[in-house]
Amino acid sequence: MANETTQTHESTGADGHASGGGLPQFQFVWWPGQVVWLLLIFVVLYVLLSKLFLPRVGGTIQTRADKIAADVAQARDLKTQAEAESATALAELAKARTHAQRTASEAKAKANAEAATRQAAEEAVLAEKLAVAEDRIRVSRDAALGNVRTIASDIAAAITDKLTGVAATADEVETALTAAKA
Amino acid sequence: MADPMHQFQIHKVVDLPTVNLPGLGVVDLSITNSVVSMGMAAGLICVFFALAARQAVVPGRLQSVGEMLYSLVDDLAGSIIGHEGKVFFPFVFTLFSFILAMNFLGMFLVFTATSQLAVTVTLAMLTILTVIVVGFARNGLGFFKLFVPSGVPWFLLILMVPIEIISFLVRPVTLALRLFGNMIGGHVVLKIFAGFIISLGLLATGGGIASLGYLGSAVSLGSVVALTALEFIVAFLQAFVFAALTCVYLNDVVNLHSH
Repeated sequence: MANETTQTHESTGADGHASGGGLPQFQFVWWPGQVVWLLLIFVVLYVLLSKLFLPRVGGTIQTRADKIAADVAQARDLKTQAEAESATALAELAKARTHAQRTASEAKAKANAEAATRQAAEEAVLAEKLAVAEDRIRVSRDAALGNVRTIASDIAAAITDKLTGVAATADEVETALTAAKA
Repeated sequence: MADPMHQFQIHKVVDLPTVNLPGLGVVDLSITNSVVSMGMAAGLICVFFALAARQAVVPGRLQSVGEMLYSLVDDLAGSIIGHEGKVFFPFVFTLFSFILAMNFLGMFLVFTATSQLAVTVTLAMLTILTVIVVGFARNGLGFFKLFVPSGVPWFLLILMVPIEIISFLVRPVTLALRLFGNMIGGHVVLKIFAGFIISLGLLATGGGIASLGYLGSAVSLGSVVALTALEFIVAFLQAFVFAALTCVYLNDVVNLHSH
């Protein structure tokens, strides 16, 4: 039944065109059905798109934009935080360096002082030893010099005895030595 | 040669009883090939968005295309209507995607719903009625200021007002005929050139000077390929133009005070 009517319409359409008829679009018998179905489909599509699909797509786009914005903001925060921390670290480093320098100079001064006192002590000991040694030398020399006079008087007495055959008295030798020394 | 108009012939696919709709009279609601085509277009859009409307932050290919279409119409409505474009965005998007789907289906199937004047006239009337309803809802009787350009001396208004009224009344006609004409024209030309391939080829089998027909046949084939590419552009462009003009007409009544 349906096929038969279809056939009839198609044949009339073709015939109509062959005899100079209008476009198939102007067969107004088909218009009401198309209009009603189109409106029906359009409304269904509109409801589906506006209530279901478009909010989902729009929501996704919005979510993405929000996420990107949030991520960028977070990255900026982290950057400023990192910069602040870097500044703190630099300040701490500078503080540590001055501290280390001060400690080093203090240690150096202390070491110098210690070295100086030790050197002074050593020098004192040495000076003492030197003084003792010098004293001893002086005593020895004085003793030696004292001996020289005795030796000289003995020699003088001996020589006089040998040359003259007369033993000189001790006073005569003493007098002669004193005169010779002067 | 095959009749190039035969592709527009409507025939019943499923016979349904007639329905007596109030205000419209008796309507034969049988499923025709035109209705099948519209239904397929709508189904295609639903399937597409069911697959494309995923909520991944990093979109896949299909999701990217879906979001591209969304942004295209969203930007269009936003740039023409302004911040109130959001309200009309679903309507404009439905028009755009529906026409686009019907145009594209016509490139792959034998029937193009948008080459039916009944379809384009309905879409145009739907658009213009929406414009009128929105216009009266927003502005009340101020809607008629649409026909009275501001800052024009009264003696010129005598001339301007009728022109404005006519231009407004012509809008649905141009809207319907532009889409209809583009679609029917493209498909008829395609059909005619495709027919030339066969008829010139058959002619060439006669031998002799008629062998030149092979050349004509090859040129026709090349033309069909080129025209098919062109028709894909037209299919997209006409959907876009329809959506853009809908936005322009809506803008006229939404932002009437600054008109």
